[in-house]
Amino acid sequence: MMRSLLIIAAVACVALLLGAVLQPRGYAVRVVCLILLAASLGQCWNIVGGLANQVSLGHAAFFGIGAYTSTMLQIKFGLSPWAGLPIGMLFAALVSVLLSIPTMRLKGPYFSLATLAFGEACRIVATAATGLTGGPQGVSVPFAGNSWLLLQFRGAGAYVPVFVGLFVVVCVAFTLLANGRLGYMLRAIRENEDAAEVTGINTLGVRLAGGAISAALTAATGTMFAQFTFFIDPDIVFSATSISIRAALIAILGGVGTLAGPIVGALVIVPLEELLSAYLSNKAAGIAPLIFGLILIGIVVWRPSGLVSLVTQRRGRT
Amino acid sequence: MIAVLQALADGLMIGGVYGVIAVGLSLVFGVLGIVNFAQAEFMMLGMYVAWFAWRYLGLDPLVGAALSFVAVFCLGALVQRLLIQRIMKAPPVAQIFLTVGLLIVLENSALLLFGPEFRTVKTAYQTRALMIGPIFVSVSYLSAFVAAVIVSGGLWLVLTRTWIGRAIRATAQNPMAATLFGVDTRWIYAVAFGLGTGLSALGGGIVLSYSSVSPTSGSQYVVLMFTVVVLGGLGSVMGALVGGVIVGMIQSLSTLVMPIQLQNLALFTIFIALLAFRPQGLLGSPSR
Amino acid sequence: MTPIVEVAGVTVRFGGLVALSDVSFAVRPGEIIGLIGPNGAGKTTLFSALVGLNRPDAGAIALDGQRIDGLRPHRIARLGMTKTFQNTALFPAMTLLDNVVTAAAVRLPLGAARALARDCLEKVGLGAAADTDIDDLTFPQKALGEVARSLATAPKVLLLDEVMAALTPNEMDAVVATLRELRDREGITLVIVEHHMRAIMRISERILALNFGQLIASGTPAEVSRDPQVVTAYLGQPDASHA
Repeated sequence: MMRSLLIIAAVACVALLLGAVLQPRGYAVRVVCLILLAASLGQCWNIVGGLANQVSLGHAAFFGIGAYTSTMLQIKFGLSPWAGLPIGMLFAALVSVLLSIPTMRLKGPYFSLATLAFGEACRIVATAATGLTGGPQGVSVPFAGNSWLLLQFRGAGAYVPVFVGLFVVVCVAFTLLANGRLGYMLRAIRENEDAAEVTGINTLGVRLAGGAISAALTAATGTMFAQFTFFIDPDIVFSATSISIRAALIAILGGVGTLAGPIVGALVIVPLEELLSAYLSNKAAGIAPLIFGLILIGIVVWRPSGLVSLVTQRRGRT
Repeated sequence: MIAVLQALADGLMIGGVYGVIAVGLSLVFGVLGIVNFAQAEFMMLGMYVAWFAWRYLGLDPLVGAALSFVAVFCLGALVQRLLIQRIMKAPPVAQIFLTVGLLIVLENSALLLFGPEFRTVKTAYQTRALMIGPIFVSVSYLSAFVAAVIVSGGLWLVLTRTWIGRAIRATAQNPMAATLFGVDTRWIYAVAFGLGTGLSALGGGIVLSYSSVSPTSGSQYVVLMFTVVVLGGLGSVMGALVGGVIVGMIQSLSTLVMPIQLQNLALFTIFIALLAFRPQGLLGSPSR
Repeated sequence: MTPIVEVAGVTVRFGGLVALSDVSFAVRPGEIIGLIGPNGAGKTTLFSALVGLNRPDAGAIALDGQRIDGLRPHRIARLGMTKTFQNTALFPAMTLLDNVVTAAAVRLPLGAARALARDCLEKVGLGAAADTDIDDLTFPQKALGEVARSLATAPKVLLLDEVMAALTPNEMDAVVATLRELRDREGITLVIVEHHMRAIMRISERILALNFGQLIASGTPAEVSRDPQVVTAYLGQPDASHA
C-alpha cells in the first residue's frame, strides 16, 4: 500500500517536473499529457478489467459520455467544465449501473461482447442524436483564451498539473480499491463467485460499485480529453478500437490488475503511437494499429502477465 | 401489406446468407470453445478474394466464393496452429485479447494492402428482378440465397456423412473420448477453425455479389454475426442458419419503421437483451 | 427450545430431475448433525439450498425463526449460516490469511478483520500456515482453511461438506476434536456431510439419511445404522465398506 502510493507520487513528481522544464507549447510536453491521459484511461479500465476480471470492451461509452456531457453543457449553457465534470461522472456511473442490469451475470467473452455492442450502440446514438451531440460532424470546445475557470489553455504545458491531478486521483482510487475491503471482495469474486457469496459478499453490489467507480473516472478522463483536444466527434470518443480496446491494451501490456501496469503500458504505447504517426502515417494509414494488434497478440501468447512481470519475476528469482 | 411481404422476402434471402456467415463462428465456438472476435475479419478477407477473382479471373463472385473458402481455410488453419492452439486452455481474458488482436491486425493489413476504397463487382443480373405475384425478387438476392442453401446442404453432408465431419462433431462433444477413438484433436481443431473461418469467407464472397467490400466490412458485420449466433445458440450449426433468417427478417422489417442509421441500434439492443436473458439462444438448449 | 434451522417440505428440481423431494427436518441450536447418503442422494444440493445457492422449487427454510428461502447467499451468510465446499473453494490467488480476512472484512474494518482472521486460523490449528499460498497447502489444510474462512463470518450454523475426505485416521481424530471444540466453546451448530462412516458416527449426535432426494431416516447414529432402509441404500455402494 505504502509502496503503491510512493510509486504514484514519484510518477506525479516526474511529470510535474517535466511540465515545468519543457517548452510549454512544445511537442514533448504534449506527449507527457497524452501519456498521463492514457495511463489514467488504462487505470480506469484496470479497476474492472484487472480487479474484478470483467473484460470490458465498451469503456468508450463512459469516455464519450464524459467528453460530451461537459462539452455540450459548456456550449449550450455556458457551464464550466469543472461543473460539467462531476455531472458527466455521475451520468456515466448511472449508465454503468443501468447497463449492469442485463450484463451483470454474463461471464468471460459474453460480458466482453455485450459491452462491445453497448459501446457501439452509444456511438450510433451519439451520431444520430444530432440535437443533443451535434451529430457526426462533431463539436468544438469554444476557446475563450487561457482560463483555469474554463479549464482551457493554449499550450499543452498548462494542462500538466491538471492531468497529474487526474492521474493521481485515478491511481489512488485503484490503490484503495485494490488494497481496501472492496479490493478483497473484488478479488474474491474474481476467484470464485459462489464461495464469495457464501462468505457474505454481496457479489452483485460489489461489482456494481466497482463498475460505477470505473465508469465515473473514465468519464472524467473523457472530459479532460475534450478540454485538451478542443474537438470531439462520435467516431473519436466512442471508438471501439482507439478508446475501448486501447484502454484494455494499455493495462494488459503493462500488467493486468497491477498499479504499475497501465503506467508502464502508457509509457510504451503513447511514444510508439507518436513515433509511428510522425514517420509513417502519411504514407500508410493503418500501420500504427497494425503494430498494436501485433503487440496485443505477442503479449497474450508470450507474456500474458504483462511487461511488469519482467521486473517482478526477476526479483522473485533472486 | 405488400411492403411487409416484400420486406419478409428480402429478409429471408439476405438472412440465408447471414446464416452461412454466422455458421462458421458457431462452428469455431462449438468445436474449439473459443469466441472468435476476429471471425468477421476472415469474412472480409473472403470478400477481397472473391473481388480479385472477379476482377482478374472474371469469375462471378458466387463462384469466386469457392476460392475465398479455400484461401481462408488455409489461412485459418495456419492461424489456429500458430496462435489459437497456444491459448486453447488459457483463461478467457487471453482468448478474448488474442482474437481482438487478430481482428485489429487483419483489418489494418487489409487497409495497408488494399487501401480504404469500397470495391464492388458488376454482374449481368445485378439490376434484374423477377416479379412473383406482387413482390419484386432481386436476382442477386435470389442467387445469393440459392448459393447459401447449397452451401448449408454441403456443410450438412460434410458434418454427417464424412469421417472428418464425424471427427469434428465428436471432438466438439468430448475431446477426450474423440482422442480415445484415434482422432488427433489438435489436427481437428485446425481443420475446424479453417472450416469455420472458410465458411464465413465463403459467405463473404456471396455477400459481395450484392454489396461492396472495404477493410471495415468486418466491423460492419461483427455484431450482426454474433447476434445471429447467440440467437441460434452458440455452437449450434442449425441454430446459426435459422438465426440468420430471423435476423435478416428483423433487419428488413425494421427498415419499414425506423431510419436506416438506427437499424444497427435495434440489432445491438436485441443482441444485449438476448445475451442477458437467453444466453443459451432462443432455439433449444446449448449443444456444448 | 425453538429450532435454529427448520426445513419444511423442500423440493429442488433440475430440469426434469428431482434432486430433493419434500425434505423436512429441524436442527436444535448447538447440535452436531451428520448428513449421510450414497452419491447423488442430494446432500450437496440440500446444502446449496440451505445457503441460498439454489432456490427451492417448493417448501420453506427458516434460520432462527426467520424465513430465508429465496434470499441471496450473502444475506443468509450475514444472518448466520454458511457452508464449506466439497473439494474446497479457497480463493487461489490469495494467501490463506487473506482468504479469511476477506470473509471477516465483510462486516469489519480491515485492521479488526486481520485480527479476527488470525484468531480463526488459530482455532483450527493453522496459525503457522497463515502466509502460505493456497497451492502450497495440503488437502487437509485446505479443508480446515475453509472452515476458518467460514468461522470469520461469525456463523450460528456451519455446514461442512466433506472436510474430512482424504484424511488419515489420526488427522481425522484431530479434526473431530477441533469441530467438537468449536461447538462446545462457541455454540456453533454443525451439520456435517461425510462419506467416512466411522468419523461421522463418532462426531454426530443425530444422523439424517438421504437417498434419491428423500429423507429416509433420522435418529441417533446407532438407530440409523440399524435402519433397514439405510442399510439397503448402502448395500452394493462402494461406501458400504466404510460402514
